[in-house]
Amino acid sequence: MRRNLFVLSAMVIALALMIAAGVINYAHRRLGDRARMQGEQMQLVPANAPPGASTPPTAADLADAEDASTTPLNGQQAPNFTLQDLKGQSISLAGFKGHPVVVDFWATWCGPCKLEIPWLEQLQNQYAGQGLQVIGISADDLDKGDPAKLFTEKREINDFATRMHINYPVLLDADAIADSWGGVDALPTTFFIDRSGKIVASTVGLAPRDEIVSDIQKAMSSGAKS
Amino acid sequence: MRLLMAPLAVVLAVAGLGAPAQKLPWQTSGSVHAPMVRFLYPQQVQVSAGKPYTVQMHFRIASGLHINSHTPLQKSLIGTTLNASAPAGVKITMVQFPAGAPYALAAFPSEKLSVYTSELVVGMHIVAQRGNHLIQGSLRYQACDTNTCFPPRNVPVAVDVIAQ
Repeated sequence: MRRNLFVLSAMVIALALMIAAGVINYAHRRLGDRARMQGEQMQLVPANAPPGASTPPTAADLADAEDASTTPLNGQQAPNFTLQDLKGQSISLAGFKGHPVVVDFWATWCGPCKLEIPWLEQLQNQYAGQGLQVIGISADDLDKGDPAKLFTEKREINDFATRMHINYPVLLDADAIADSWGGVDALPTTFFIDRSGKIVASTVGLAPRDEIVSDIQKAMSSGAKS
Repeated sequence: MRLLMAPLAVVLAVAGLGAPAQKLPWQTSGSVHAPMVRFLYPQQVQVSAGKPYTVQMHFRIASGLHINSHTPLQKSLIGTTLNASAPAGVKITMVQFPAGAPYALAAFPSEKLSVYTSELVVGMHIVAQRGNHLIQGSLRYQACDTNTCFPPRNVPVAVDVIAQ
């Protein structure tokens, strides 16, 4: 009888601990979700919705976004590339060695990119004195086999860059280098590279501005100057 | 003692609900590579030979995503299109897309979008001669969620047409 009482007591204590752990874990996850929601994010709302209305992302969206918000290239040397800019000049990532660099993949058809680009323009200005260099790479399709279409496509990208007042190099043909950069399956995808050429952070999809600032500061503070 | 085990099992199961599901090393996130748009039905239609028929092709758009309508409101956006090849004995006379729902991004309220969400039904008007025919093609779409856009993709479609 005493032995049964002892076992029963032990089980009750164990159960209480497990329930408490579950409750604490659940509360922690709720806090995390709320923190993510409080960041400055793009929201899609019906055009006729009242001001302030929005369509919140589902829990599944948030969970997926959390899992897919960085790339496996973090901590690795940034793969070099050489691409043409809007004026037809070749630009290589290697040419910016010794500088903290932000490489941003975007497209003219990407709405969230249009929110992120002005942030990058401001941050390029803000941190230019510390050597920061932002590079935008357009993921718009290019019909390389059709000169007339190619001309139009390049002009549209150029028009977009002008409308957006982009103040950093815009390179073309992300497809040519996408594989070496992990596929770039979602836009915007942004890499933060330190002075030694190592990728110290990356974001997939529109990240809160604070996170982008923090990642830029991380890129500026690590890696030796050449 | 056995009487104690049943409630114990129930409580353990309930406690486990609060814990996050651990991902195993070979489990990757489904957000990027999961199908964003799926062709649902029909896989087969029976029609009267020589008479016009509209195949109502149903597609499911994943929760949380939107795709541009067939007629996006901005030139730079990529509209949804159906590319289907008609086999001998079938004529595709028209492909009919529904109007998109009006949406706007909260950051750009003046830039209206025309999008499809949830379910899309595309009407493919055909006239088929007597016999069995397989219409194959693909729906091309460009999807976004609230914070991310994905490059244009194709979802394959195939409809077996039995004309009698």
